Amino acid sequence: MARAGGISNAVNVGIAVQADWENREFISHISLNVRRLFDFLVQFEATTKSKLASLNEKLDTLERKLELIEVQVGTASANPSLFARDV
Amino acid sequence: MAVPVEEAIAALSTFSLEDEQAEVQGPGIWVSTDTGATDSPIEYSDVSAYRLSLSEDTKALNQLNALILEGKEMGSVLYTYRSCVKALPQLPDSMKQSQADLYLETYQVLDLEMSRLREIQRWQASAASKLAADMQRFSRPERRINGPTVTHLWSMLKLLDTLVQLDHLKNAKASIPNDFSWYKRTFTQVSVQWHDTDSMREELDDLQIFLSTRWAILLNLHAEMFRVNNVEDILQVLIVFAVESLELDFALLFPERHILLRALPILVVLATSSEKDSESLYKRVKIIRLINIFKNDPVIPAFPDLHLSPAAIMKELSMYFQKFTAQTRLLSLPSPHELPPREALEYPLFRHYLIVNHIGSIRAEHDDFTIRFASSMNQLLLLKSTDNADIEWCKEVKGNVYDMIVEGFQLLSRWTARIWEQCAWKFSRPCKDIVPSESQEASASFSNYEKVVRYNYSAEERKALVELVSYIKSVGSMMQCSDTLVADALWETIHSEVQDFVQNTLATMLRTTFRKKKDLSRILSDMRTLSADWMANTSKSESGPLQHGSEESKGNVFYPRPVAPTAAQVHCLQFLIYEVVSGGNLRKPGGLFGNSGSEIPVNDLKQLETFFYKLSFFLHVLDYSATVATLTDLGFLWFREFYLESSRVIQFPIECSLPWMLVDYVLESQNAGILESVLIPFDIYNDSAQQALVVLKQRFLYDEIEAEVDHCFDIFVSKICDTIFTYYKSWAASKLLDTSFLFALDNGERYSVEPMRFTALLKMTRVKLLGRMIDLRSLIAERMNRVFRDNIEFLYDRFESQDLCAIVELENLLDILKHAHELLSRDLSIDSYSLMLNEMQENISLVSYSSRLASQIWSEMQNDFLPNFILCNTTQRFTRSAKVPLVPVQKPSVPYAKPNFFCGTQDLNSAHQSFARLHSGFFGMPHMFSIVRLLGSRSLPWLIRALLDHISTKTATLEPLITGLQEALPKSIGLLPFDGGVTGCMRLVKEQLTWGTKSELKGEVLRGIKEIGSVLYWLGLLDIVLRETDTTHFMQTAPWLGLLPAADGQILHSQDGGESPIVNLFKSATSAIVSSPGCPNPASFNTLSKQAEAADLLYKANLNTGSVLEYSLAFTSAALDKYCGKWSAVPKTGFIDITTSKDFYRIYSGLQIWYLEESIRVSSNSQEVLGDSVAWGGCTIIYLLGQQLHFELLDFSYQVLNVAEVEVASITQTHKSPHFVQGWDGLLEVMKKARRLNNHVFSMLKARCPLEDKTACAIKQSGAPLHKIKFENTVSAFETLPQKES
Repeated sequence: MARAGGISNAVNVGIAVQADWENREFISHISLNVRRLFDFLVQFEATTKSKLASLNEKLDTLERKLELIEVQVGTASANPSLFARDV
Repeated sequence: MAVPVEEAIAALSTFSLEDEQAEVQGPGIWVSTDTGATDSPIEYSDVSAYRLSLSEDTKALNQLNALILEGKEMGSVLYTYRSCVKALPQLPDSMKQSQADLYLETYQVLDLEMSRLREIQRWQASAASKLAADMQRFSRPERRINGPTVTHLWSMLKLLDTLVQLDHLKNAKASIPNDFSWYKRTFTQVSVQWHDTDSMREELDDLQIFLSTRWAILLNLHAEMFRVNNVEDILQVLIVFAVESLELDFALLFPERHILLRALPILVVLATSSEKDSESLYKRVKIIRLINIFKNDPVIPAFPDLHLSPAAIMKELSMYFQKFTAQTRLLSLPSPHELPPREALEYPLFRHYLIVNHIGSIRAEHDDFTIRFASSMNQLLLLKSTDNADIEWCKEVKGNVYDMIVEGFQLLSRWTARIWEQCAWKFSRPCKDIVPSESQEASASFSNYEKVVRYNYSAEERKALVELVSYIKSVGSMMQCSDTLVADALWETIHSEVQDFVQNTLATMLRTTFRKKKDLSRILSDMRTLSADWMANTSKSESGPLQHGSEESKGNVFYPRPVAPTAAQVHCLQFLIYEVVSGGNLRKPGGLFGNSGSEIPVNDLKQLETFFYKLSFFLHVLDYSATVATLTDLGFLWFREFYLESSRVIQFPIECSLPWMLVDYVLESQNAGILESVLIPFDIYNDSAQQALVVLKQRFLYDEIEAEVDHCFDIFVSKICDTIFTYYKSWAASKLLDTSFLFALDNGERYSVEPMRFTALLKMTRVKLLGRMIDLRSLIAERMNRVFRDNIEFLYDRFESQDLCAIVELENLLDILKHAHELLSRDLSIDSYSLMLNEMQENISLVSYSSRLASQIWSEMQNDFLPNFILCNTTQRFTRSAKVPLVPVQKPSVPYAKPNFFCGTQDLNSAHQSFARLHSGFFGMPHMFSIVRLLGSRSLPWLIRALLDHISTKTATLEPLITGLQEALPKSIGLLPFDGGVTGCMRLVKEQLTWGTKSELKGEVLRGIKEIGSVLYWLGLLDIVLRETDTTHFMQTAPWLGLLPAADGQILHSQDGGESPIVNLFKSATSAIVSSPGCPNPASFNTLSKQAEAADLLYKANLNTGSVLEYSLAFTSAALDKYCGKWSAVPKTGFIDITTSKDFYRIYSGLQIWYLEESIRVSSNSQEVLGDSVAWGGCTIIYLLGQQLHFELLDFSYQVLNVAEVEVASITQTHKSPHFVQGWDGLLEVMKKARRLNNHVFSMLKARCPLEDKTACAIKQSGAPLHKIKFENTVSAFETLPQKES
């Protein structure tokens, strides 16, 4: 009965495995750091979006205030006689 | 190139990436590089490098895996198959001639769909034959090839499962045979013109048989397998493998467990239906073990809305597999739908399937896990920031992280499996007794889907589901976030585990147990060869690989290397362990590790077993983000293809959609505890959209999900805004209730508001929805801006539909709104309240001083208040006249609004309404305060001006009427004689005052005078209120402006021409700051000091405001000047003309005695119609015309009173008992009242509007006239008269 196992050239395989471990250490290292880079970019995008959103919010408020002031100035300048200084 | 990667990445962490948004959603972004650990990314092509003669096995393995993938695709095609026939058009009669064209078109459309089915048919045939061939190859007793490996076993099980699912789906989908028969019909129509259709027809018949035969795939597989009769062995191995795995519950991920559960009954059926001795199976696996497994899981999820039941399947299959019918014990298991409801309740599993019954322990697990997970992450961070950390500590921390991750996966797997299983259970037991919530629904019949989903989850169950889903999502996102943080720690731990096993454990085993056994020790040393990493073991240079035999028993110390073993390495290791344990003999009785007949000692067996199971864990842990994604994927909760088909509708309404039901539940329940989970169910939509695109690959499903999500999100936003608004409104309303009042109340807690936390939701600027980012915060802010405006608008509308008395309520409601705005502004930036108020008041223009409210108050006064309200001088209140209003008032109907446009909740509404009701019946001081506060200094002058104009126009309209009355009076009216007594006087008065034809003018003049009086009194009230406000204001500003009280109510300026304290303060502060060298921006401080000066100027100018009442009296006086000539004739003689009838006081006098008489004659007295303001109007005009003294001397009623006094005096002299003049008591009484009122008015007028001294003529004692002497306006003589008891 054929037993399982029986690596035909154990020493060579052992050496190859050892080399494989070392190569893969390098690969893991690089791939992990690439992922960290991705992570950073994703987070960066998220926070930037948040910051932009809060900026947008402030601008919105300002815009509405400005609109109001424009209307007010408009009503005033439409009736210049009211503000004319008596001569 | 020389950029050090490590440092560059570390530098990124110096960026501040803080974000104040809370994590209230699940993980959403997946970036991963190696999702291929569980199934080798390179298809195990590296296995051959280990020279284990596994090439046959690897080839078969890859073939099976490819089949599994294809089978999954087929499964999704079948699952998402929707009937085409339903959509086929019908031709109207007029177009019958083109019927043939339609058939052709239909044929072409259906042909495409049918070709897919044909493909499935072909595929299953080839898959079955390949699986059967594979099994036969690897189960020959005289085995020549290595295998099957454990991975191979798994692949067999998976393929079998795929085939079973496909078969089940084919049975369940009724639309497929339907479509097919239609297709066949069109084919016969179309193929008439074609030649050589025999082969096509044959193929069609074939397909028809395949589609209409239940379990066709399984039957085919059975036939394929038992073509050569030697697969029993491998079937038994598979059964043993499945049973052991299930019993040990070693599957890390729930999908694996479900695969085993689904495949097991089929395996049992196949194994027992063979020609050979079917009982041999039970020699290896006791039947009770199988029954237990089937009993514990009577319902297994298969597809999102399709479940499997082992008992039912076995029962059904027994009809097809004759041999299996003998297995009565397995067939007697009850399938879940056969259990009667009551029995099901008692059935222990009923409780087991429902999440509600576990939520308590799940909560505890979640809380405990999150804390420990966070702490281990912190430890890891601490470790990473420490240089030269102790190796032992390092190993411990990383080991701990590994344990936490595994535990997290186990928890997630258990929780998600619970949801799947609950769903399957619910689908298997539709709701029997639906209690329709609304009456109109009672008649409608419920679709099956409504029965299994919409009405099948109680409120408790929905709550538990929301909770569990949010636990899964939050733990998932927590683990996802730490992906790159833990990755190398995990690799390192796994590496050291593997190395520890192969270098230490195996070394020990080789030295002791296996020393004598050549075969086994070879396998063990192969395991070392293929996975040992000796070089990481750098410190012990002398302990090379060759010296392991002579090592001490204490193990090696490893240096960590953050590299994980490959899938192929794990695969080989598992295979080798399996070989050691089973001895390469599949036929061995007993289980895998429970093998008592083995030649390996129990201790070593245990170690091997542990490591064996660990290896399968490693793969999932290495597949970190893919595992998290699988475990947190809840997209299945949305899919309902099976029910859609059976319900014959295009799509179900969103009320039937489980994710929306959960969102809706959270919103409706108002439960503060789960409020923050409200966004979590939207993650289910995200998951299902992902599944629709990536797994099922169906565009139309995605479109449907997208449409539903869009719709749901809109509803969600509007609902959440409503909830937020109501909450803040009721919070404000309950805060504004009087606290001492609430304290005294028994049911005061009804008016308090349960606190809710919206802060996290209000901070959400990035809601992840189907790959889009939605700024929820801005959406809410936008809606809030609108709803506040709507609310103000509504309050004004409401005020406009009520009378002036509602002003107090309006102010109260506006106050609540303002307070709510203030509370909400803390969490959300919305437009300022004053801006919104101005906008809704139409008050933005700089040059307009009226406002919506002011003009409403004015028109209300003009149309309703002045004509229809009467004054009571004593209470200082105006009340509505009891009579039918003379001027009918047209008002818009009261607008309807939800309770949150008032005070929030019903209870608070009624509380505030009962306060408002106190003020709704009259107009008095509180109303005036409200008007002053609401109009403010901007619109109030406008209103005053309008009222004053009203006085002058009213006088102008009165003028012709009074002229008419003047004409009706006799030319001269003498004094009333004393001789006739009261009776005589009254007769004389009546004779003189017949008014002739003008008597209809009387009422009108009186009403005019009354309106003038009302306006004046109203302004008087306003004056009082303004005084009070000004005083408060003064008290507040005086210390800043440096005003000091002095004697006689004078005001002293403290600084004698210098600057006021506020200016001084700011000036000195500014100079101090500016002089210091560190001041960055002196200009702004100078501005500040200038502004203080401006404020000083403005506030000082406001100090001595005049009196509104005095101003209005002066205005009225000026208005009356025009009529002076007509209403007060200057006597030609210069002496007082006592007989004149032209003067105004005469008219008023006549009118007064008329209406006094009238008032006692008519039961409903006219006093009520006119009230006290007539006296105010009349007396003011008289006073301002300078006729007060004349009036007091010559008024008819006064004269009558004088006569009565004399008469009474004479009567009391003659008779002892004093009593009133007979018959005239009533009249005399009202006359006295009128006189007192008139005196009151005159004295007030004298105080507030002293007339300049008048010149008049007098008569000397000697009788000679004296021209132009000055006399003072003195207090009326009548006031000094002794008062009779009234």
